[in-house]
Amino acid sequence: MAGRGGSALLALCVALAACGWLLGADAQEPGAPAAGMRRRRRLQQEDGISFEYHRYPELREALVSVWLQCTAISRIYTVGRSFEGRELLVIELSDNPGVHEPGEPEFKYIGNMHGNEAVGRELLIFLAQYLCNEYQKGNETIVNLIHNTRIHIMPSLNPDGFEKAASQPGELKDWFVGRSNAQGIDLNRNFPDLDRIVYLNEKEGGPNNHLLKNLKKIVDQNTKLAPETKAVIHWIMDIPFVLSANLHGGDLVANYPYDETRSGSAHEYSSCPDDAIFQSVARAYSSFNPAMSDPNRPPCRKNDDDSSFVDGTTNGGAWYSVPGGMQDFNYLSSNCFEITVELSCEKFPPEETLKSYWEDNKNSLISYLEQIHRGVKGFVRDLQGNPIANATISVEGIDHDITSAKDGDYWRLLVPGNYKLTASAPGYLAITKKVAVPYSPAVGVDFELESFSERKEEEKEELMEWWKMMSETLNF
Amino acid sequence: MGFLWTGTWILVLVLHSTPIQAFPKPGGNQDKSLHNRELSAERPLNEQIAEAEADKIKKAYPPESKPGDSNYSFVDNLNLLKAITEKEKIEKERQSVRSSSFDNKLNVEDVDSTKNRKLIDDYDSTKSGLDHKFQDDPDGLHQLDGTPLTAEDIVHKIATRIYEENDRGVFDKIVSKLLNLGLITENQAHTLEDEVAEALQKLISEEANNYEEELNKSTSRTENQAGKIPEKVTPMAAIQDGFTNGENDETVSNTLTLTNGLERRTKTYGEDDFEELQYFPNFYALLKSIDSEKEAKEKETLITIMKTLIDFVKMMVKYGTISPEEGVSYLENLDETIALQTKNKLEKNATDNKSKLFPVPSEKSHEETDSTKEEAAKMEKEYGALKDSTKDDKSNPGGKTDEPKGKTEAYLEAIRKNIEWLKKHDKKGNKEDYDLSKMRDFINQQADAYVEKGILDKEEADAIKRIYSSL
Repeated sequence: MAGRGGSALLALCVALAACGWLLGADAQEPGAPAAGMRRRRRLQQEDGISFEYHRYPELREALVSVWLQCTAISRIYTVGRSFEGRELLVIELSDNPGVHEPGEPEFKYIGNMHGNEAVGRELLIFLAQYLCNEYQKGNETIVNLIHNTRIHIMPSLNPDGFEKAASQPGELKDWFVGRSNAQGIDLNRNFPDLDRIVYLNEKEGGPNNHLLKNLKKIVDQNTKLAPETKAVIHWIMDIPFVLSANLHGGDLVANYPYDETRSGSAHEYSSCPDDAIFQSVARAYSSFNPAMSDPNRPPCRKNDDDSSFVDGTTNGGAWYSVPGGMQDFNYLSSNCFEITVELSCEKFPPEETLKSYWEDNKNSLISYLEQIHRGVKGFVRDLQGNPIANATISVEGIDHDITSAKDGDYWRLLVPGNYKLTASAPGYLAITKKVAVPYSPAVGVDFELESFSERKEEEKEELMEWWKMMSETLNF
Repeated sequence: MGFLWTGTWILVLVLHSTPIQAFPKPGGNQDKSLHNRELSAERPLNEQIAEAEADKIKKAYPPESKPGDSNYSFVDNLNLLKAITEKEKIEKERQSVRSSSFDNKLNVEDVDSTKNRKLIDDYDSTKSGLDHKFQDDPDGLHQLDGTPLTAEDIVHKIATRIYEENDRGVFDKIVSKLLNLGLITENQAHTLEDEVAEALQKLISEEANNYEEELNKSTSRTENQAGKIPEKVTPMAAIQDGFTNGENDETVSNTLTLTNGLERRTKTYGEDDFEELQYFPNFYALLKSIDSEKEAKEKETLITIMKTLIDFVKMMVKYGTISPEEGVSYLENLDETIALQTKNKLEKNATDNKSKLFPVPSEKSHEETDSTKEEAAKMEKEYGALKDSTKDDKSNPGGKTDEPKGKTEAYLEAIRKNIEWLKKHDKKGNKEDYDLSKMRDFINQQADAYVEKGILDKEEADAIKRIYSSL
């Protein structure tokens, strides 16, 4: 060990040199040691992730920091404003932010829909920073995800509720204060109830997808819808989301459709046509969360009935019936498959626990993201190669169809198996293809549809040919 | 090993002389034309086949493969053979021609041949020989007159050379050359560095003593940051001092380029040394206020003075001449004295420099004689303006004034990481500067768009734009 004053001198000289190296690099503040300490406290823990609760200004600042650090792959936007005027902020991560690349599936995470269920909000802030950091470190999984997916993260759908909940004094937060939005509306009961319509259609026949007709009347002119709800509905209609998760608190489970029971009873397993894939993706979340997937975990509260929980997952209706929820609305009004994840027994746990919640959930969050690259995907085009938007893709045996997006691209999540996929569009002849689907990655299947008029032309030509041939043969 | 490979390739070639026809591919036509075209030059075709078969062979002969030799092309094998033989040659050379070759290599680095002579003549043979540092060199080094050159001498040589040429790069050139030739190991390189640093230190301390007398100052404070400052030290900092009275301008540019081999060490210093400077707020502020272009000499002189003094105090404490507390009070007094003196001497600039670094706090001209408290209060006032437009001001946990500081820091940090990543990423394109201005425009545009949408405050956007424009 060469301890000498000389070392100190040289070190100091380096310091001055480093400080002289002004531009662009370690520009730091002078003066009060207090500033230095503050800096240290803020950037505690790892890599710019500060494990503390973020109020609205801090939330905004955190997202802006991520954007500033990763300008090449991120973009912040807002889908609207809460009742009290706070922006419903979303940070988007993708290799081409702001742009839907044809064939690239879109994913969303939404947190804090109930303002006092705070863990989801924080996890999503951490996740945004984490994805940015890992991308810059060259983490292959993350780099691939960001290059091949468009990831939208909305840390809080109910910022007003959160402020109310967070303003409560003391450690123990009330079970209900801050849950609903500023108008007292429970956002997760506020969506148009499409479950009832689909149940009716099941019995009497009718469409099995995209059940929200007349967007203007039911949404824009509907006074019963909260501004947050309206904003989200427009968001869902605008962007062709494929997979989504809605983060809550108060229990520890991954919940999938349908949430509302068919018969109207309080508990009843209410499977949707895509029960198999939903179970699979829900499990993809829960299995990476040690607490959630622990089979010997006691229920959150002594008298809780968690009999419906299997491997950390549950069908919504089997657990308890929820009408007007966002999860089912996604499935029944759009192509998006959404599950609800309950992250914590305590809705607003102490700040010191946030780091461990992050540790428990970060792998789950990434694993669930990767589920989007499953099943079948491709393009529906006409014979000239033009995309056919809004074509219907149906799967034999699954009573739920999806549609192609503006560029003709579609993504159909499926568990492994052999399927027959049919693409059809008004004015076009349907085509059916057989597909063998592995666990992952998604199989590419494109469709080239022939329009009726084209077929008519063809037939006409065939007829003319035949006539020509006949006339030549018979010599007239 | 080489023979085995050659044999294998011959076998491969023989056995696979007609693969192209046997396995038709969709692009078969293309291959054929390529095939025909290249038949005139035998080797490329063979290489192609060889490469194509590389994987098969690799699977067939896994135990024979070294970890490093994963590319099994024919050419690579040849190169490997060459490298091995070269290495052996070097080993032999080293043994016999060590002394002269070593000296020669040192000299080869020079552009100016006159300095060679000086170096050779300058060695200090009065030092008693210590244990030979380069232990795997049985023959030892030799001076020109035939007597063995001890490691000490080498170290001193290098140190003197660096000192005279005021260029840290000298050291790195020498060391990297030695490393490449396998003459020293990494550990030995580190040891060498220490030794050189020591030697340099001695040189510098002598100068420092002279300075001491001149300046007629005997007060300094001890920074007992010993715990924080890592023990191993680069000589770079030492060189930065234009010790020989006013020779300063070149030093800054030289030393600011950190070299690769031992860069990691200087990195850790960046943070620690800033800690030290915190205790000299006035001095630091003073430095900032000097416009580097106009008053470079003044700046350099100041830096030199400061360093010298601090070092001297540290040495005094270390050797027990004064107690640590005395050292601390010396340095505290020093800071204040500097503030006073320079206030009298230097002009006050409009602090463009300062505002570049610290965009949010000071729009006003910096008055370097402020105590730190006053400065902090000023900054707080400025930050107070950065209010969030939404409700619930009271509910901020940390308190308004603390937040904005943290926010700007966080933004600065984030921008820095972004620039770092961009630089790393754009290295292939080699258009760093171009991208920076493009990025600046993009950021400006985005910042404005965000302000419109309510995602950013106007002040925040301005701060961000300012940070980027100062890059």
